Amino acid sequence: MSISPDQTYLARTFDDGRYDWARSRRVRRRAVLAEAALLVALVAVTLAAATTSEGWTTWYFVAWTAGMLGFIPLHSVLNLGIRGVFDRDSRSLDEHQQRLADRSHNAMGWPSMGLSFAAWTGAVAVVALTGHVALALCLGFLLWFTSGLLTYWHLAWTAPEEPADADL
Amino acid sequence: MGRQPKSEADKVHDRIAVLRADRGVSRKELADAVGVHPQTIGYVERGDYSPSLALALRIARFFDLPVEAVFSLDPLPSLSEELLRRTS
Repeated sequence: MSISPDQTYLARTFDDGRYDWARSRRVRRRAVLAEAALLVALVAVTLAAATTSEGWTTWYFVAWTAGMLGFIPLHSVLNLGIRGVFDRDSRSLDEHQQRLADRSHNAMGWPSMGLSFAAWTGAVAVVALTGHVALALCLGFLLWFTSGLLTYWHLAWTAPEEPADADL
Repeated sequence: MGRQPKSEADKVHDRIAVLRADRGVSRKELADAVGVHPQTIGYVERGDYSPSLALALRIARFFDLPVEAVFSLDPLPSLSEELLRRTS
């Protein structure tokens, strides 16, 4: 029986040497900051839109779409930086990668639950105070989405710098 | 499963880098042989990660050495010092 981690197509992509630049601590941390800033900006825009009488407007739709599209490359860089340990098949992870993933899951368990709770209460509060159901759903989605990202951010921020060339 | 050492006293010392250099084995070759990713071997060599017992045994078996010759709770003396001590 093989003891090596299974190398699925996704795992090979995350381990591809062409993306070594994304694995430095500096790039990983910048990706975390950029994602966090983007989500804070989207939450702020949603709250700002909720305070208006129109609620859902074209400018809000444009801001939302631009933000979501901008998230895709940012998260791709961040995920390459942590070798996609939360997204690939667990059989493709070795004991150290599994350990790092478990550590971040454990560290972010309560904050993540808190944000999920804030997503519900925030959405309910927006509907109760403004009556804008679509914006309440957007706010709830953003906070719930952020709760899922906390483990990625924790790992990308805390993972040690990778050792130099494997062929040494 | 292994873990990250919490302090200097908690660290597991090893001779993997010296043994690899002696046998002309790259991190990738060793990693493939013992079933981990190459960067994990690097973390173990650097002392950032204490391997599981199973991984430590597989690494020792790869080098055909007893596990205590590869890993130790105390800093390991250099191989040349040990050789000198045994021959003198």
